[in-house]
Amino acid sequence: MSGTEKPPGPLAGLRILELADHTGHFGGKLLGDLGADVVKIEPPGGEPCRRIGPFLDDIPHPERSLSFWYYNTSKRGITLNLETADGGELFGRLAGSADVILETFRPGFLASLGLDYESLRQHNPRLVMCALTPFGQTGPWRDYLSSDLLHMAAGGEMASCGYDEADVPDAPPIAPGGGNAWHMGCHFAYMAIMAALVHRTVAGQGQYIDASIHEACALTTEAAIANYVYRGEVLRRQTGRHHAAGPTPRTQFRAKDGNYVCALVAGRLNPKYIGELADLLDTNGMAGDLYDPKYQDPAVIAANTSHIIDDLVANFIASRPAEEAYHAAQERGFTWGAVRAPEDLFGDGHLHDRGFWKEVEHPELARSVVYPGEAAIYHGSPWRISRRAPLIGEHNKEIFCDELGLSLGQVSMLSENRVI
Amino acid sequence: MSRPRALQNIRVVDFSWVRAGPWATRWLGAFGAEIIKIEWPENERGRLPSTTTPQNLEVNLNTSGNFNDTNVNKKSLSLNVRSAKGLEIVKRLIAVSDIVIENFSSRVLQNWGLGYEEQCKIKPDIVYVSMSGYGHTGRNHHYTTFGPVAQAVSGLTWLSGLPDKPPAGWGWSYMDDTGGMYGAMCALTGLYHRNMSGQGQHIDLSQMVSSVPLNGPALLDFTVNGRGSRRAGYPPGNRAHWPGAPLVSNCRGPTVAPHNAYRTDPGGYNDWCVIVCHSDEEWQRLVRVMGAPAWTAFSKFDTVGGRLQHQEELDQQIEAWSLTLGKYELTERCQAAGVRALPVQSAEDRVEHDPQLRHRQMYLPIEHPALGVHKVQGAPFKMSETPAANHLPSPLIGQHTREIVEGLLGYDREELRAGFADGTFWPVQRPRFPYMEEMLR
Repeated sequence: MSGTEKPPGPLAGLRILELADHTGHFGGKLLGDLGADVVKIEPPGGEPCRRIGPFLDDIPHPERSLSFWYYNTSKRGITLNLETADGGELFGRLAGSADVILETFRPGFLASLGLDYESLRQHNPRLVMCALTPFGQTGPWRDYLSSDLLHMAAGGEMASCGYDEADVPDAPPIAPGGGNAWHMGCHFAYMAIMAALVHRTVAGQGQYIDASIHEACALTTEAAIANYVYRGEVLRRQTGRHHAAGPTPRTQFRAKDGNYVCALVAGRLNPKYIGELADLLDTNGMAGDLYDPKYQDPAVIAANTSHIIDDLVANFIASRPAEEAYHAAQERGFTWGAVRAPEDLFGDGHLHDRGFWKEVEHPELARSVVYPGEAAIYHGSPWRISRRAPLIGEHNKEIFCDELGLSLGQVSMLSENRVI
Repeated sequence: MSRPRALQNIRVVDFSWVRAGPWATRWLGAFGAEIIKIEWPENERGRLPSTTTPQNLEVNLNTSGNFNDTNVNKKSLSLNVRSAKGLEIVKRLIAVSDIVIENFSSRVLQNWGLGYEEQCKIKPDIVYVSMSGYGHTGRNHHYTTFGPVAQAVSGLTWLSGLPDKPPAGWGWSYMDDTGGMYGAMCALTGLYHRNMSGQGQHIDLSQMVSSVPLNGPALLDFTVNGRGSRRAGYPPGNRAHWPGAPLVSNCRGPTVAPHNAYRTDPGGYNDWCVIVCHSDEEWQRLVRVMGAPAWTAFSKFDTVGGRLQHQEELDQQIEAWSLTLGKYELTERCQAAGVRALPVQSAEDRVEHDPQLRHRQMYLPIEHPALGVHKVQGAPFKMSETPAANHLPSPLIGQHTREIVEGLLGYDREELRAGFADGTFWPVQRPRFPYMEEMLR
């Protein structure tokens, strides 16, 4: 993890101030893991999302939130109460030399403290400031409360996710878990920040970005909007596969070990494919009648779609463990996959080959923890986790004393007065 | 164009097809980069097959609605890259470009003689983003994906559904959308790094691998606590916790109730609302919005622990109330009182009924030569100096071939004609669109 012999990340040299709660801290991680110096500014006592589980050994504590750990790698942490005059002044000094501010306060909050973009850029015209909020800075919903589930509802994710009537009668629309509304918002915010930074390399000037999580979610339903705009269609939910205007053949099959395999077969059925499918199924002696020359006729294939999928493919998958069926199919060029639980990934050889898992030192616990790694390998400027999530106020001395020149006595005084 | 654009003067050679790659370059185009989409009608994937052609139009290469929305802000060069002449033209194009992006299988560009080393010989500081299913390294690099397979293999599918039922998964290629995001993020990051250091690089993105970090807290729950996700009560549907299962975090925020979807009036397919109370205080606000019905007076509902324990009854009672209101009215009443509630919205709801998206001008119309005027999805952020905007409709296939070949690369009209005659710019046997004939005059 030292990475001393490797070149720095692509964002090395950038200073980011992150004032983000659970909705935006993934954005800071995206920047930090790619080499930016991210300084996370928390309220004294720590950011409230440190209280969100799961926790180390299931013991709730602001330094033991695994969610906080994960989303705050490669950041330093300081505490600062922006609502005090001293806090505002210190923040202004930090903002004066920052490249990017990422903030998730409710619209108008920073302006009420005189810390809005217009004020801050007076001292730092190169500043890029991104406000990432549930609904953006304007509009009738701008002050609405939200949550991950609420965004998945209004963004359209839920309208597309659910079950076939045969699997779960009268099922509700389903919101996938894992906090993906926040991921969607942060991906778009990262993109906008990087575009602004690229522009700055040419124009020399920063800018303000008003990013909306609701809009990010509303953009992340593939062709659903196009289906409506161009054809007036409202799509139906189906088990484990694409929403569609009308029912489509199933793509999720139960394997021998009780796990599932995702196998797209319909839509690809032609004589050549049938031959390849027969060879695959035959590895388990289960090709059935697929070698029959009648399948050289596309009309016969079409008439037997249900037989091929619901009998032959389903039975083949049911005869093998999911991982086995997945690899056997992929090795023969079939775009199939095992439906894995997250913990199944630790045995994945491909992730191992790509050096995906990272050991991150937690010195205060005298142990290291395995974290997931990078989405992409940057061959010229590697991604890395430079440090575990900061403890509350861990870098107060580094930032306030070493960088801003405060004395330890001043820091103590400010701490006693709940500024720091 | 009066406003500057963030990626002004940046040129992208875009080999991408289907969805994930084109979704990436769409955003680079919205930032003002010149996107040159290289296509070939014989093996095109993205325009056809089309399930989004308006009912009154013929399905052809230029009438897919979803292609239009996914490929705004681009130009199209139709080119047979598998011919010597086509490859030469690609190389001349790379020489005057900043970014090369593609989402083929892992060895395709290398096999064409266009691997990163070759690209560097042509343009030393090129930023090359490959967006393959499994990446260019690793034992399964030759495996292929589409969104649902990446979602299945990475664990994303697993976290969606009701306990003891098959996974509901994601009802679309979430990882084509999100994979596209990462493609754009990689390109922008590589470009920033190039502008600062003068160095290009190859960025090897994998759709499957990029899905895995989206499960971060669940993965840490396993590496730290040894707790896997194959457990009773998981996934908990729309709830934070499934009644009767041991109380553990399900990695969807605080463990609270109510936290669910409820039917609303008139009970149609998408007449649902979600309601979440993050605290006892928020619960009391909901009680007041519901008119403090008698059942809410039982003390078992006063605390989050009680509400979690009696969640079935709680949800039934809430739904009896929610069914009396339309989903937008319910939303407004709840939010006015400080209660977290929003409607489940279909695509139609978002385009027609969502007052916030309307206010933010999320769906502005744009005219396409074959499709006519239709709404196109906008950017989810407002940039004060360099607004991201949809300034071009999606290109007709090969629409900009002459502009690029003559205007940018300096070939003359005779060479363009020769290229059409010898199958470099369009298959010889394939009927040409009228705009191609126009181009050859």
